[in-house]
Amino acid sequence: MGRTDRKITIGHLYPDLLNLYGDRGNIACMEQRCRWRGIDAETIEFNTGDVIDFSKLDIVLLGGGSDREQAIVCKNLLEIREDFQQYVEDGGVVIAVCGGYQLLGKYYKTEEGMIEGLNLVDIYTEQGNGRLIDNIILKSDLAKMPVVGFENHGGRTFLNGNQPFGKVLYGHGNDGKSGYEGVVYKNVIGTYLHGPLLPKNPQICDYLIQKALERKYGPVTLEELDDSQEQAANESICRRYLKE
Amino acid sequence: MRLRRMLAVWAAKLTEKISVHIFHRQGVTWAGKIALQICPSILKELAGQVKKDIYIVCGTNGKTTTNNMLCAALQKEGYRVVCNHTGSNMLNGVVAAFVLSAGIGGNLKADYACIEVDEASTRRVFPHFKPDYMVLTNLFRDQLDRYGEIDITMNILKEVMQSAPKMKVIVNGDDALSAYLAMESGNEFITYGISEKVIDDKDSREIREGRFCKQCGEPLMYHFYHYSQLGDYECTGCDFKRPKIQYDASEIEVGDHLSFTVEGRRIRANYRGFYNVYNILAAYAAARTGGLELTGFNEMLAAFNPENGRMEQFQIQDTKIMLNLAKNPAGFNQNISAVMQDEKEKDIIIVINDNAQDGIDVSWLWDVDFDRFKDANIHSVTVSGIRCYDMGLRLKYVEIPSKVETDVETAIRECVKNGCGNLYLLVNYTALFSTRNVLKKMEAEK
Repeated sequence: MGRTDRKITIGHLYPDLLNLYGDRGNIACMEQRCRWRGIDAETIEFNTGDVIDFSKLDIVLLGGGSDREQAIVCKNLLEIREDFQQYVEDGGVVIAVCGGYQLLGKYYKTEEGMIEGLNLVDIYTEQGNGRLIDNIILKSDLAKMPVVGFENHGGRTFLNGNQPFGKVLYGHGNDGKSGYEGVVYKNVIGTYLHGPLLPKNPQICDYLIQKALERKYGPVTLEELDDSQEQAANESICRRYLKE
Repeated sequence: MRLRRMLAVWAAKLTEKISVHIFHRQGVTWAGKIALQICPSILKELAGQVKKDIYIVCGTNGKTTTNNMLCAALQKEGYRVVCNHTGSNMLNGVVAAFVLSAGIGGNLKADYACIEVDEASTRRVFPHFKPDYMVLTNLFRDQLDRYGEIDITMNILKEVMQSAPKMKVIVNGDDALSAYLAMESGNEFITYGISEKVIDDKDSREIREGRFCKQCGEPLMYHFYHYSQLGDYECTGCDFKRPKIQYDASEIEVGDHLSFTVEGRRIRANYRGFYNVYNILAAYAAARTGGLELTGFNEMLAAFNPENGRMEQFQIQDTKIMLNLAKNPAGFNQNISAVMQDEKEKDIIIVINDNAQDGIDVSWLWDVDFDRFKDANIHSVTVSGIRCYDMGLRLKYVEIPSKVETDVETAIRECVKNGCGNLYLLVNYTALFSTRNVLKKMEAEK
């Protein structure tokens, strides 16, 4: 198969409501890192009310929004739940950040009430005392480099035994206590890390691209890119916050 | 308690001298803090001595420029005005403005006060005095780590508006969020805005806040956008829509200078940047609402030189330098537009810090439309500041090469030496003071 025959289609869910914290950076990162390797990349934005054909998608991005906006999204999510679940169970790649991460689970219980989630992964979130806001650094099995980002969440997420995205080296993580952050289920990553997540963590981005390509085209080896700028940005955070 | 007040004034003045002249610190917050500690009622007492009206200016962008312009307009009419010129806009900064304007007898001789107040700090300022007018410029996403979501800021503003029911709100009617807040508060409000389409911005990918009606949750429909979410809007689900604009700017010209017509008067200013139309209009509407004639408004604008890093010009050797604050996506996008109005070749230095006052979360850089720089006739881009690597990476993903130089002074010297003689410095909040000091120092070198 020629280099240029491959194509990744990214579905950006509800950018009209869930667009906090530089989610566009995650899209730009996935698109560019495909294109720089000669892989065609396209992003389709689905706004609330749009019909989503998951069979056309290779990567789904569910971003962060305010609590109020999340409640609006939640109404729409229930309509797509079944298709979305089929996509996930079939190994579809999902990156869900902040509010999007919370929506993956069963529910998000806040003082004002219950936001029902997609129930794609057996996790749940409850509003905690105060927001967890800081830079954050993880060690994840999915990347050699540490994973760096920024977290800002009022919810505490509990994994019910699911595999976390990483171990917290600096920062708060899922609930501020467990020492773990995010969730990995099949080809789904849910995480509180924005910053945005992918540009400073190119190995995570490549992990998503690789999984998406493999699902579509079978085994692939991704071409190496010059990541010196990405590494410098990643290291500058690690240097500041990790002692030793 | 005059004695205690006098003591507080003396202590504050002494603190200010020490902090500014010995430590070369910008800002006067220490002075305010000490005054308040010595005399907790000092702000209430001094604010009570203002003879006519107290204005406060709130909103994400344009506070400092609007407030300083309003102050200059009032001074031009011959009045004495208390003002926090430097933009220290939290409680201590507000206290400092009053205390440092007071005489050594502990009394204030002022006709007006023009005070910009950080939105989240309004809660701490309003218990001390109730302003006569609040100017509300706009609400954009800014420092999510510090203020939380816009909804939180809106709740705070609504609460303080309702705590001062006699306060009139002078609001940017083109911003659905600000206008909604003014309507919702129950306070009397006066609107300013731009009813004619100036730039067609409908297809821009720019992040827009509040696409959904705050009243009913349905999507808002826009007849046109000026920039970000500012424009002419109407709800598709209820009766919420852009209010009738009382101070309406028309025949707008944007380029090397700005001009527009309001109330049949032609207003002219030597600034760049469409957003400055809003700043001028806000100051104008505020002063007119307060009953001023503003006969010398254009003269005031011609002489207006805030010297605070808002489109501030420097000349170092053969290089013309423009320094401008850019601290959130809406502001940065407007900065990019202003840079692009200059068609000449240019060098750009972007300085991004992540100190507490900047917001420690820099993910907003990815909400700025930097790809527009590709068409901006750019000679070179240098990134600097604590988060220079993040900034460089941001540009990499729109395929704009940049050079990392952690030291701002070195970056500027390099551009003066090897650049094209036309340099723009776009910096965020804490980077502004250090960069400005470097430029002042370099300008003085011979």
